[in-house]
Amino acid sequence: MGERADVWQGTLALMVLKTLQALGPLHGYGIARRIEQTSGDLLAVNYGTLYPALLKLEQEGYISSEWGTSDNNRKAKYYKLTRAGRKQLEREAREWEQTTEILARFLSPGKESA
Amino acid sequence: MNKLRAWLLRFGGLFRKQRRDRDFSAEMDSHLQMHIEDNLRAGMSPAEARRQALIKLGGIEQTKESVRDGRSLPILEMLLQDTRYGVRMLRKNPGFTAVVVLTLALGVGANAAIFSVVHAVLLKPLPYPESHRLVMVWEKVFLPNYQNDENNPSPGNFSDWKNQNTVFENIGAYRNRSFNLTGSGEPVRVEGEQVSASLFSVLQLNAAIGRVFTAEDDQPAGQHVVVMSDGLWKSRFGSDAQILGTTILLDGESYAVVGVMPPAFHFPDPDDQLWVPIALTPQDLANHGSHNLLVTARLKQLVTAAQAQGELNRIAQHLTELYPDTNTGVKANVVPLFEEIAGPVRPVLVTLFGAVGFVLLIVCANVASLLLGRASARHREIGIRIALGAGRTRILRQLLTESALLAVLGCVLGLVFARWGILALKLLSPPHIPRLDEIQVDASVFVFSLAISLLAGFIFGVLPALHAARGNVNDSLKEGTRESAGGARLRTRNLLVILETALGVVVVIGAGLLLRSFLILESVPLGFQPRGVLTFRVIPRGEKYSQLAGRTAFYQQAIKHIQALPGVKSAAAVSFIPLTNSRGSKGFSIEGRIPPSAGQIPMAGYDAVTPGYFASLQIPLRSGRDFSWQDTPQAQRVVIINEAMARTYWPGEDPLRKRIKLGTADDPYPWWTIAGVVGDIREFDVLTPPRPTMYLPISQADDSNYLLRDWVVRANGDAMNIASSIRAAMREVDPNLPVSRLRSLEQVRSISVAPQRFNLSLFGLFAALALLLAAVGIYGVMAYSVAQRTREIGIRVALGAQRGEVVRLLLGQGVGYAALGVILGVAGAFALTRLMTSLLYGVQPADPLTFVCVTLLLGCVALLACYFPARRAMRVDPIVALRSE
Repeated sequence: MGERADVWQGTLALMVLKTLQALGPLHGYGIARRIEQTSGDLLAVNYGTLYPALLKLEQEGYISSEWGTSDNNRKAKYYKLTRAGRKQLEREAREWEQTTEILARFLSPGKESA
Repeated sequence: MNKLRAWLLRFGGLFRKQRRDRDFSAEMDSHLQMHIEDNLRAGMSPAEARRQALIKLGGIEQTKESVRDGRSLPILEMLLQDTRYGVRMLRKNPGFTAVVVLTLALGVGANAAIFSVVHAVLLKPLPYPESHRLVMVWEKVFLPNYQNDENNPSPGNFSDWKNQNTVFENIGAYRNRSFNLTGSGEPVRVEGEQVSASLFSVLQLNAAIGRVFTAEDDQPAGQHVVVMSDGLWKSRFGSDAQILGTTILLDGESYAVVGVMPPAFHFPDPDDQLWVPIALTPQDLANHGSHNLLVTARLKQLVTAAQAQGELNRIAQHLTELYPDTNTGVKANVVPLFEEIAGPVRPVLVTLFGAVGFVLLIVCANVASLLLGRASARHREIGIRIALGAGRTRILRQLLTESALLAVLGCVLGLVFARWGILALKLLSPPHIPRLDEIQVDASVFVFSLAISLLAGFIFGVLPALHAARGNVNDSLKEGTRESAGGARLRTRNLLVILETALGVVVVIGAGLLLRSFLILESVPLGFQPRGVLTFRVIPRGEKYSQLAGRTAFYQQAIKHIQALPGVKSAAAVSFIPLTNSRGSKGFSIEGRIPPSAGQIPMAGYDAVTPGYFASLQIPLRSGRDFSWQDTPQAQRVVIINEAMARTYWPGEDPLRKRIKLGTADDPYPWWTIAGVVGDIREFDVLTPPRPTMYLPISQADDSNYLLRDWVVRANGDAMNIASSIRAAMREVDPNLPVSRLRSLEQVRSISVAPQRFNLSLFGLFAALALLLAAVGIYGVMAYSVAQRTREIGIRVALGAQRGEVVRLLLGQGVGYAALGVILGVAGAFALTRLMTSLLYGVQPADPLTFVCVTLLLGCVALLACYFPARRAMRVDPIVALRSE
């Protein structure tokens, strides 16, 4: 637990938001699959963390959910990005880029003199 | 923002849980199905597809649980659960719950009631805008023969302070004045004030209807105008909306009503009903010698009372140079109005507050002891819960939730008790507690009560809870084993006994000291005999009585009338009866003595009386004669002095036939010849020792300031028997003069010690409560200990111990703890009673008699509380005791 879980939770939330932005309304299973695919199956999404993350995003008002029907006529709960979610996505994406950039500088030695 | 939204949603998640659970199950289900379908499409067998999907999904229940937690607030949910469980437990033991809640409610109720007084009197600002800027301004007199920090200012000094200061936004003067209100119904006497127009600006209050006084009203030549209280307007004038501009008759003169004050307004006294302009004349304003005003001022913004004090002292110094005769030794004393009102009662209230605090602590100790007792009954239940996986913190939390529940219940009932207490307090209306009408159970009292209840809940809950959570699971589960934590619990309970005995001793010693003081107070010789004397007030005011002759005729006629009534022994009138008012004193000169230097003039109190006054009160005449109606203005002016005056100014001499003059020897006033010496009496109150006092015969006292207000009638039997015939007799003499304050002098005496009686009663009540609780506590622990040791006692008896020895053993232990408590309590009382010195009279805070008596009392109570359980031990049948295992 502790900080690492938070970071993971944070990135998971970002991935969920990005997925919803890219694909539009999607159910939990679809989100999980998409994330796994996008990561080139490097990430395995643990459903035990996905659903609490979805719940939290919904409580914070970044996504909303409603029951709908899937392509193969199955009832499923669909999540979609809200306006606040879009903004949050932009903000988090920016922050994340910054963080990775900074980390990249640390991790690639010799360039710090620049 | 979003976080807050999330929290609110989670809070909402506490409700409609099942629907949400179903919803999530459906979502999980659809998730699983989609996964299986995908797996099938990928070519797996149906069984394999399902297996893989389930593996990937992981523990569905854990996921559900985690989502469930995320959906609402698990801590709050647990609290709700604990509360529900707690409520169930408390309902299952109604007897236990009732005892605990009642005990708590007594403690909390007493505290809430006293706190509501403390809050209204000591904490809440006065009901005037920016009241912290209001101050009283007194003269501070320091002379060799007279010192007073709060001397009434003279009109001259008031006027000079007013004109020369730069520290006050405004300054107002007033003095008490009662009026005979006639016309429109029964004549009544109404208390009121003569006030300067500026007083209302000082208070920054306006009339509710109409207006307050203008500067024009407040002129000697101004119209007669009056402002009345809301209460008088309602009761006497039926809330007449057309009251403005009408006139009312006060002392036979008509006054135009210009305003009605708001309901809560009664400045400065609670019974004030009328305000008229004081209209000081230029002569008044130049008079620095008659000290008859009260002065209230409003400090300018950012000016402190100390700064105002400094400036007024500079002005006072200047005045001393200008008027050495009257202003020598006179400085100013600026006292914040709040302090003036709250200051005198602070020691009492703080002491009472301390006492109820102790009572609450004793309550806590008692309840803790009860909970410990119950914990032993519950140790199996708790053991099982621990064995089933409940965390110790969870158990602790559960038990503390139960304590908190008890605390909240106690608080609710306690607030009901507090309301009753406040009601009773208002009915008793102790004369020394100001702002009685503002005392109520308001939000702050509520918060305070809740806070102390929860604190108490924590105090009494934490020890038993820790004990319970620490218990050994194995031991408590083993059938038939004696519970092992019992010993530790008993030790804790013994500690509690010591503690509550000690606390009880402190409170009871406090009450004992107050009782001793009160008994001493009651036995102080008054110098007169109040029993059998009826007193009432009739003040002859109006045109008929503006001259001395008219007044004298009235007194003489009324006394004749009264003395003719059956059952009346003698009757007389006096300016003020003893034990009611504190009065100023006058400077006088003795014929033939060297004139004293400025500020050294002899001083004495003074009263005007009719003949027969001393006989009616049975004040002994030591030498000389009483006044008679033959002491007319044409005859030689005579005066009677008391023994204190004779002793002080004629030591070793016979004062009879010596002559004195009111004022300095050069003043153009007549000489008075001393015609008699009477015994000293307690004049202001029972506590103040007699001071030099002179009595003037009303028939010669031509200054209209010497008005007789109070009447005394000595009856043959009970004073109140003649009350109704007195009313009738006075109505015959003058139907326009209302009779008020008709009561026995014994009642007056009783009222004069009412503050002390009130303090004692309240403190005594708390002490009784403390004593009772301590006794119950000791009894409870002893009974518990005997029950625990039944087997041991059985064995002892079976092995041949004498029953007496067993009782002695048990008794010895219980009494030992109590004795330790008493010793600690006595030590504590030694340290604490010093704080109540200002409430004591004639007793030292460490009064040995009180300490010994209380120690004995507590000893007896402890012995009794231990004796009954111990006697039960004596009856233990060894066979039964041994078989019970």
